[in-house]
Amino acid sequence: MAHFGFDRFSAGPLWHNGPAPGGIYNFPGRQVEDSGRFIERSKQPITTGTSVIAFKFDNGVEKGVAIASDMLGSYGSLARFRDCRRLFKVNNQIIIGAGGDYADFQYVQSMIEQKNIDDECLDDGFSMKPKAIYTWLTNVLYNRRSKMDPFWNNFVVAGIQDGEPYLGSIDKLGTAYVDNIIGTGLGMQIGVPLIREAIEKKPAMSKSEAQQLLVHTMEVLFYRDARSFPKYQIGIVTPDGVTISDPLYLDNQKWGFALYKK
Amino acid sequence: MSIMEYNGGCVLSMMGKDCVAIASDLRFGVQGMTVATNYEKVFEIGPQLYVGLPGLATDTESVLQRLKLRVNLYELKEGRRMQPAVLTSMIANMLYERRFGPYFVEPVIAGFDTKKQQPYLASMDLIGCVTATDEFALAGTCGEQMYGMSEALWQPDLNADELFECISQAMMNAFDRDAVSGMGAIVHIIEKDKVTTRRIKTRMD
Amino acid sequence: MALIEPFAGHTPMQAQRFSPYSDNGGTIVAIAGEDFAVIGSDTRLTVGYSINTREQSKLFRLSDKTVLASCGCWCDVLTLTRVLNARLQMYNHEHQKEMNTPAVAQLLSTMLYYKRFFPYYVSNLLAGLDAEGKGAVYHYDPVGHYERNQYYAGGSSSALLQPFLDNQVGKKNMNGVVQEPITRERAVAIVKDAFISAAEREIHTGDAIIINIIDKTGVKEERFALRKD
Repeated sequence: MAHFGFDRFSAGPLWHNGPAPGGIYNFPGRQVEDSGRFIERSKQPITTGTSVIAFKFDNGVEKGVAIASDMLGSYGSLARFRDCRRLFKVNNQIIIGAGGDYADFQYVQSMIEQKNIDDECLDDGFSMKPKAIYTWLTNVLYNRRSKMDPFWNNFVVAGIQDGEPYLGSIDKLGTAYVDNIIGTGLGMQIGVPLIREAIEKKPAMSKSEAQQLLVHTMEVLFYRDARSFPKYQIGIVTPDGVTISDPLYLDNQKWGFALYKK
Repeated sequence: MSIMEYNGGCVLSMMGKDCVAIASDLRFGVQGMTVATNYEKVFEIGPQLYVGLPGLATDTESVLQRLKLRVNLYELKEGRRMQPAVLTSMIANMLYERRFGPYFVEPVIAGFDTKKQQPYLASMDLIGCVTATDEFALAGTCGEQMYGMSEALWQPDLNADELFECISQAMMNAFDRDAVSGMGAIVHIIEKDKVTTRRIKTRMD
Repeated sequence: MALIEPFAGHTPMQAQRFSPYSDNGGTIVAIAGEDFAVIGSDTRLTVGYSINTREQSKLFRLSDKTVLASCGCWCDVLTLTRVLNARLQMYNHEHQKEMNTPAVAQLLSTMLYYKRFFPYYVSNLLAGLDAEGKGAVYHYDPVGHYERNQYYAGGSSSALLQPFLDNQVGKKNMNGVVQEPITRERAVAIVKDAFISAAEREIHTGDAIIINIIDKTGVKEERFALRKD
């Protein structure tokens, strides 16, 4: 593959044994693929998580990002695993929410945990900021899609970047964007409109109001998303730190609209 | 390549103040090869009633012949001229009869309703789903280009002269960016008491 | 992998093939004047019928006299612009000056062709001032063919807007007009009109436009709301 290697027409590597600009970098210690023909690649997700929803809130006193996802690991249409935590605390200023293939998520999670350890070993008092992890994830996911071996995930990065709420989303191709409200999967089609309407009515929201709004959104998503589950978690990131709730349950479900309810 | 693009060609129609204009290009081709440069796709059905039939040329001819038959029968039986809205329904019915083996034409109907004394404009897809409008209607291989031009140039209540300029510019600049449309154009301006027909010279490539 | 058992009588569910590309919509337009260039993009980012965000500019400021507009497959846009910025920085460090617009244009072409057999699925427009200070617009195909023009439209509404620019900027099909250089105000007005028209008929375009006006004093930015439906 002359187009990805070095030749006299391309720019030199960015660092010793590194990639040329635009080239694909094989991380050290990992086997370099010479032929793609005999390599197993994930072409479909196996155990999957459904939507993640998140939004920024700020009422002048309290500000941060609220994020939620349910705890179901679906196996096709089978509701198989009922205790899958899909919100992940990276450090004291970042939560990552993940949808899609759960195994891929756990693998990425372990990579991030290793990055945390590496950071810790430097002992310089610095830790990753949300934008750093967002950019890193974008590149990792884009690299994998370019090898036709994607991480089958949607990631939502929620955090505090230099005192301000930060919220970004990355899909399995490395398509990345930041916004004030983010939903993945059905969360984008059902959850985001609910949140947007609530924020239009009340732009300055407190932490507890944000939490209530997420509960309501998760409830509606549970009613209409066939791959959802009434057990879920809520994460809140504020300048004071990160909290991820214990599993919550959707009680007081209102099934009155169901025509044949007994 | 879609069968709708086999021969190329386009029709554009616009509503003005007490007038309506309908225009077509003049190219007839077989895929990339231009065969004729005098092939009109707009036909006179009555004194103030025109229909544009862009699409597969063989179906343009067939639909036109079958339509003329039905229009003649209607006018003989009723003893009066056909109104544009009636013609629209008739074409829609005719096309829907072939719902599962359609004629590959997308008609545009422009005329003057002599009863209501107002211009009429409608278009439909190849199986007769009608959209009546008081803005503009179009069909053919350079549809996207014509939408871009018309959306920018058209405005309500243009008089006959302004409407002619508007539709001509919209049509010409649109088909100049389409390889299978163009080679001149013909424009009919339908008013209350007259119809003006003009041929436009355009670039021939 | 028959993980998903089909119901009796149903055809088995086919695993969808992975596609490394997606079409994220968006429209870009650029017009070059005598001593300035205008370049604009909408701010809508879509996947299919869903809108990801209404606030994504597709303009990338490469220097004080060069702006790139890029849309298509958004993950490729992100990667292409990131690598391009890295290459420009390498040039800066090596030569102690900013790369001029025609050189950026050639670099971009080379970078696109470098991926000839796994292309960046991206429409690019490059606008800026050339070495003589004249307005320049370059447009590209996804694999690096490029051409310098006075004006160009790219992205999901390119077919709607290119004939409009031919007519209004190129004065095509107009009899007896004197070809005089386009003014800045006229260029900006045409870009706005073009986007308003596109947003009427093309669902992947809308929300707002960002316009950058490049002249010898630098880059000025304007924002203009479009319909959000």
